[in-house]
Amino acid sequence: MSDTGLVQIGNVSRRDALRRIALALTAVGTGSLDLASAQQVHHAARSVSSGGTYEPKFLKPHEYRTVGRLAELIVPADERGGSALDAGAPQFIDVLCSENGQLGRIYTSGLGWFDAWMRHHHDTTFVDATEQQQTALLDAIVTAEQEKEQASADDFDEYFEVDSDLGPGVRFFDWVRKMSVDAYYSSEIGIKDMGYKGNGAYSEYTVPKEALDFIKPLL
Amino acid sequence: MDYSTASTYLAVSRKIADGIHSSAGSTCVILNRPMSQTSSKPEVFDVVVVGAGAGGGTMSRVMAGKGVKVALLEAGPKLVPEEEFKEHDWDYNYDHRGAGPGAEGYFGKGKPFGFMRTTSGGWELPDEPYTVGSDSEFAWFRSRVVGGRTNHYGRMSFRFSELDLKARYRDGVGPNWPISYADLAPYYDKVEKFIGVTGTREGIPSAPDGIFHDPPPPKAHELLVQATGKKIGIPFIANRRAIITRNLNGRAACHYCGQCSRGCLTASAYSASQVDIFPALETGNLTLLTDAMVREVLTDANGKATGVLYIDRKTREAKRVLGRSVVLAASTCESARILLNSTSKAFPNGLANGSGLVGQNLMDTVGFSVSGHVPALEGMPVYNTDGFGGTHLYAPWWGYNDQAKLGFPRGYHIEFGGGFGMPGLGSGHGAARKAGYGRKIKELMREGYGSRVGFAGRGEMIPNRFSYCEIDPSVVDDWGIPVLRFHFKFSDYEWKQARHMEQTFKGIIDALGGTVTNVGGGFEKSGISMGGSIIHEVGTACMGTDPRSSVLNPYCQAHEVKNLFVTDGSSFVTNPDKNPTLTINALSWRAADYLGEELRQGNV
Repeated sequence: MSDTGLVQIGNVSRRDALRRIALALTAVGTGSLDLASAQQVHHAARSVSSGGTYEPKFLKPHEYRTVGRLAELIVPADERGGSALDAGAPQFIDVLCSENGQLGRIYTSGLGWFDAWMRHHHDTTFVDATEQQQTALLDAIVTAEQEKEQASADDFDEYFEVDSDLGPGVRFFDWVRKMSVDAYYSSEIGIKDMGYKGNGAYSEYTVPKEALDFIKPLL
Repeated sequence: MDYSTASTYLAVSRKIADGIHSSAGSTCVILNRPMSQTSSKPEVFDVVVVGAGAGGGTMSRVMAGKGVKVALLEAGPKLVPEEEFKEHDWDYNYDHRGAGPGAEGYFGKGKPFGFMRTTSGGWELPDEPYTVGSDSEFAWFRSRVVGGRTNHYGRMSFRFSELDLKARYRDGVGPNWPISYADLAPYYDKVEKFIGVTGTREGIPSAPDGIFHDPPPPKAHELLVQATGKKIGIPFIANRRAIITRNLNGRAACHYCGQCSRGCLTASAYSASQVDIFPALETGNLTLLTDAMVREVLTDANGKATGVLYIDRKTREAKRVLGRSVVLAASTCESARILLNSTSKAFPNGLANGSGLVGQNLMDTVGFSVSGHVPALEGMPVYNTDGFGGTHLYAPWWGYNDQAKLGFPRGYHIEFGGGFGMPGLGSGHGAARKAGYGRKIKELMREGYGSRVGFAGRGEMIPNRFSYCEIDPSVVDDWGIPVLRFHFKFSDYEWKQARHMEQTFKGIIDALGGTVTNVGGGFEKSGISMGGSIIHEVGTACMGTDPRSSVLNPYCQAHEVKNLFVTDGSSFVTNPDKNPTLTINALSWRAADYLGEELRQGNV
């Protein structure tokens, strides 16, 4: 099944699109629904996300740049797509920090720790450090983290403790890392990178031949 | 590892009541006809139904169809699917990307099961607390909205079999039902014809066939699991879900977006709101009152029910609705709570509770899950695996002839997941921690996409005397209504079954050539699902033929109050490994036919 034929409906509101699909569907008398109408609703965006240029609400300008740099290091661009920075990680993080004091403190204290570490070791800030200096810190953090037992992959909100002076950095890095990958994989570019083909409307469900051909020898 | 307190796990969804319904408005279609006015006599309905879920929706639709006047009270607001359901939406349309307003998802709060789900309630409602005995753990999911949990439930629709209903004859454990499969089958037929259920005819004794819509074909990974199951003696067959695959009664066939749990805008997936209640309102015989928290059933000097007393959430006024008969379908524990709170001189221990069994025999489903990584699935061309949501195949219980060898009575069915799901919040966490940071995260994500499978068992719990709910005499909710206190324990039967699930699922993953990546977790951290967490609670007003050992008769009619019925999961005598909703639909329809006849004959 391919996603060709799905229709984007630019300025039509989600509500209007839903009305259309409802009309189309109540008129249905045959075996399949009005596919074109049904598909429209899947692409009608609910306009609750901010458009245009984003002005940070919570993070200071240098903090916002630092989050962007971290997001870019965590999920860098490659031949198949952009970075977590391209996917809007700093805006995502800033919005949530502005709405949640606990998260805001995690970021201000964590970014403070990162900058102090850079000032102490290289007399600069994290965002102004060289790439080598930046990755050296991230490597040290990841090494310290992985020396401890890997935390459960599915934990959404769990801190884990590392017994070294990198501890605060490890804990903060886990936050900025999970929120950066979340920003990436919830974005249009991240979804395209994975090749997810769903969230459509179809008159029937079929498994494509190439998938069946792949599985057949295993059965 | 245990849960230090149940409340840790109940510390979710605080924000629900504030936010979710704000857009849904506060009035209902026909709200508050003049009642209790000094000048006019209050209206007396033929039937007053409490609770707009599967049981109450079915009851209201069937009774309104008979031409009698029905009042339906719902504790939550009305439902506007177009505004409430987030079907077809994308995370990137929200600044919070699905973490919810205020980043609640990152702190274990917000909507249970995620922002996009259409759950209108949750494990904890700010205005409706409950308590748990110090020796117990229990999580009580409440859905407060027209349609209740049917707006988002899994739609698994399995008929109870004679093996289930008369299980005591086989193993001597627990009670038998007072009705047989022959009593239920005509109503399963009616329900399936009306709501639409997929499936194939298989002739398996533990999974009686029904009247089915064609199921969608298995996905590629499901074919592999099915072939592997065959080798180790576990039959995987087409899933039976309350989803229509051809048009039915003005509802359009499924369009395979796989997002049933967000609510189905086209009502292709059954919900009591869209399929029962909205059409019933068109008859003119149904009056729907929303935001009506029912406190008690009212009775007269003869011990007959005369209506209900409720608190109007909007005005915080205590009001009455009068009726010739009362049907409770407020959900298993809520109906027990209403009965226990309906005290009077004639019924000092609660209404219809002469047996002392109201609130007793509380059961949930036994749950345990294991997931794994199957390298053989790596490299499959990515395709759309949304399908009709969830698994296209499932395994009905296969061990019914080997129970003696297994060491535990009764069984479980297997649900499983896999495929190329929609990426979103959380999908990259595992890869990110494994990779540390950098390009490797994307590589791991691409390699692993579609190669994970997860198995979940859903098994039967035997009722026991340690599992019940009662009124907590020291706590009331924000509406002044005394709350429930829960006590819950699984016995060795359930623990042994959960270990069998674990070994079975590990065995399947092993046979697939995969490695186990996750065992239990979340509500299953202790090794078995926490009571209530599967959201299949039943049994608090069990049916039977003897008023000393049951609350209801086989038509869900209270032994002690002839014009009082309870048609949610309360009447269940046992809790087979079949998700309860289809049987609630069937029992409620059967009770409605019985009540209709009793009303016609003037017996109630």
